[in-house]
Amino acid sequence: MLTCDNYHLPTNLPEALAIWSNAKTGSRLVSGATDILPWAREGRAGDVHLPELIDVTRIAELNGYSFENGRVRLGANTVYQDFLTDQTLMRSLPCMPFCAIWFADDQIREQASVTGNLVNASPVADGTPAVVALNGEIELTRLHDGSVVSRQVPVVDFIEGPGKTQIAGDEIATAVILDTANGYGGSFQKVGQRRSLVISVACSAALVKADRDGRVFEDVRLALGGVGPRPIRMSEAESVLRGERISHALIERAAQTAADTVGSRSRKEYRREVVVNFVRAALEDALANQPEVQVDFADAKEKTHA
Amino acid sequence: MPKLQIDAEVNGRKISREADPHARLLDFLRDELNLTGTKEGCGAGECGTCSVFVDGKLVKSCLMPVAKVSGSRIETIEGLAKPGDLTPVQRAFHKTGASQCGYCIPGMVMAATSALRENPQADIEEIKERLGGNICRCTGYTKIFEAVEIAKAVIAGDMPETALEEDSVEDSYIGANVRRIDAPSKVSGRLKYAADMKMPDMLQMQVLRSPHAHARIVSIDTSAAEAMDGVACVITADDVPGKDGFGVFVHDQPIMARGKVRHVGEAVAAVAAEDLVTARRALAMIRVEYEELPGLYDPADALKPGAPVIHDYAPDNLVKHIPVRKGDTQKGFAEADLILEDDFGTQQVEHAYLEPEAGIAYVDPDDVVVVISPSQNITHHRHMLAEIIAKPINKVRFIMSPVGGGFGGKEDMIYQGMLALCAMKTHRPVQLNFTREESLIASAKRHPSRVHYKMGLKWSGQITAIEFDMLSDGGAYGMSSEGVMRKAAILSCGPYEVENLSVDTRGVYTNNTPSGAFRTFGGMQAQFATESMMDMAAEALDMDPFEIRRINMMKIGSSTHTQQTLETASLDRVLEAAEIASRWEKGAPRVRGAERGDLNGPDTRKPCTLGARIKNAAKDDAKTTERVA
Repeated sequence: MLTCDNYHLPTNLPEALAIWSNAKTGSRLVSGATDILPWAREGRAGDVHLPELIDVTRIAELNGYSFENGRVRLGANTVYQDFLTDQTLMRSLPCMPFCAIWFADDQIREQASVTGNLVNASPVADGTPAVVALNGEIELTRLHDGSVVSRQVPVVDFIEGPGKTQIAGDEIATAVILDTANGYGGSFQKVGQRRSLVISVACSAALVKADRDGRVFEDVRLALGGVGPRPIRMSEAESVLRGERISHALIERAAQTAADTVGSRSRKEYRREVVVNFVRAALEDALANQPEVQVDFADAKEKTHA
Repeated sequence: MPKLQIDAEVNGRKISREADPHARLLDFLRDELNLTGTKEGCGAGECGTCSVFVDGKLVKSCLMPVAKVSGSRIETIEGLAKPGDLTPVQRAFHKTGASQCGYCIPGMVMAATSALRENPQADIEEIKERLGGNICRCTGYTKIFEAVEIAKAVIAGDMPETALEEDSVEDSYIGANVRRIDAPSKVSGRLKYAADMKMPDMLQMQVLRSPHAHARIVSIDTSAAEAMDGVACVITADDVPGKDGFGVFVHDQPIMARGKVRHVGEAVAAVAAEDLVTARRALAMIRVEYEELPGLYDPADALKPGAPVIHDYAPDNLVKHIPVRKGDTQKGFAEADLILEDDFGTQQVEHAYLEPEAGIAYVDPDDVVVVISPSQNITHHRHMLAEIIAKPINKVRFIMSPVGGGFGGKEDMIYQGMLALCAMKTHRPVQLNFTREESLIASAKRHPSRVHYKMGLKWSGQITAIEFDMLSDGGAYGMSSEGVMRKAAILSCGPYEVENLSVDTRGVYTNNTPSGAFRTFGGMQAQFATESMMDMAAEALDMDPFEIRRINMMKIGSSTHTQQTLETASLDRVLEAAEIASRWEKGAPRVRGAERGDLNGPDTRKPCTLGARIKNAAKDDAKTTERVA
């Protein structure tokens, strides 16, 4: 059971930063609250009493999104359901709808924010590989001499290990900035013990752009989650593919490089097998998802995977 | 704690209330507004029973701090229809029998309503996907999906309103779709389960549970807890006035641990306080000193000489041994052309009914101790409690509240005694609502079992003899183990006539969570072994699996394993119906290649896939956009 002395709902950023920097030790920021409430239960943290909870979801500056220089800045109040309902986001971030549909369930997606998911830094967070594939950066904001200052940190560096990030004690994560990938095909793979409401054993995200004729990989982005303490960007596999003629054999070769990225100590052999299949499926699904391109495999099989 | 001021619109009505800063929307709806149609099944966002609309979006109210809803518009199950009326979704749930225990149903109706509001044209795959956050343990979901599809068609005008009415019944109710009379109370959220009931001046109880599997209790110090403001009483085994001990067959379980604990999660002490937070804080103040004892975690170890003894009355750790003998197995195996031998194991299973255990106890003006709970066995509980609290039977009353799923898991009196003791000690009504975690740790489970199986057969497929030896983990207390072992023995060799058999089922004590009653009551564990053996025998004899079952099936006049002569038998018709319904491809298991022709036919449930709404949106997109190939 989670109890607290005070629950704050600041409505603007300077107010929130002031409350946060003056909050008693042990206080916590709250976004969707979909993780902190189950955390304070038997079997995890048990009964927890916190001095103050500072809820960021009414901070006006954290609402909405904006585009700039081929990037999109998602305010920290962007929730997972937005990737299934907002047509602009769905087109610009093609791996995010597939990531979102695997994330929890409809109810939780209405509350759970992408930023909160990243700050929690779970090694099996569904959002991490998708954000990493989109060259995501997290925006961290604090008060410095009375003025609001921000810095941006690549998410791949921001998450240092389970529950460990580069966020400083007085900072609030205010946005996630992602590459837009209009015209790319996107995909997301996940294994867990069931479909809805399940924590990943492993997950992966892919973005693929083939040329107009569907013959060459112009760009490929691959990232893995759940296979080590930190998110993994599969740069080696990406470079194997980039600029090459699309074929099943090439995809297979790239997929094999994934096995060695597994750093998890538990279920290692299983995870090694899974990630190879993941990368293959992720690339095939992403190719199939690319709008307006008919992919032409050099070694087309009689019956390709749907 | 400074209170929060919550101003909101709930079901069209403006409300203004104070709330604790940590309160969840769920607590606020249930405790402050008495909107108990919104249930708490898990408190961790897993089950969906607490789903409500906030500003038109469906959320889980157990995951939402109430502060977040200030200024919002909230809609709960009670607000979907006008009083006395039901929405098409609710009427469809009534029509198809989608509500059984009913505990998941308000949440399920909310999710179905949300699905059809979000996409009135949602196809079945999308409906399944949108109901993915809600769990039901009774229906297998089929009737729920059927209801949502009917409601969708009626709302869209594709089906007339009359489709929501009860089917007419002609000559017989058998085989007819008859609506359940209790469904309207469930689909509207009006039915009160034990956790939904409130009494004036009611205390909240919480239970301190053992962290050890097997330990001697050296001392319990409750003084600090008792001294706390708001604590009405603390109880331990010392507060039991009569002869302590309950169980479905053997009364080996004390109301609370007496002298030692036998499994992790066993109740050691309980607190009744003015509110839940105080009760939980008081638990943390109770000091228990334990001396750990060697434990038993494998049923095979329990039978070894020199094994730790868990109950003094059972020095061999045996709960029950049921032997069944028929004919002469030595002779039967000698006549066999083929002897198969194998081992089968099944695991512990939790019932996971959506309603966690809950109850209220009070002492009425005539000194009758009254316990309200979803007990599956109230008469037996009443008799046992009378002895435990040393009262005549007419001074003990049990009221069975609606059971939000039981499946056998609510047969054991694991908390009603503690409630009664607190009510007697305080003369105030006392309520205990288990958390989901508590329900998992403290309630009985399906017996994990191991079966060693030996089967003799003629080349013709006829069984000549069976040896069936089952060892089951009964856990720390007897509960229903004796009955489960008996049923497992009676059903052991399946619906097959076996002339020579030797059956032994044993349930033993360990320091694992107690095993108890669970649907089939031991039959499932036995049938898993027997039916697997039948399939393996069919493979070994190159026979059709249906054929080998027909050769051995019990018929009119057959003698059962316990030597009862059958006057009726229907297995022939059951097999025929199963063979037709499954579109069975005839032949021995090995005649098929890699793929069977009889899989995935009509009426086979397809696996749920994710992404239906994305695919559907893309399809709609494709209709309007010309593709560049």
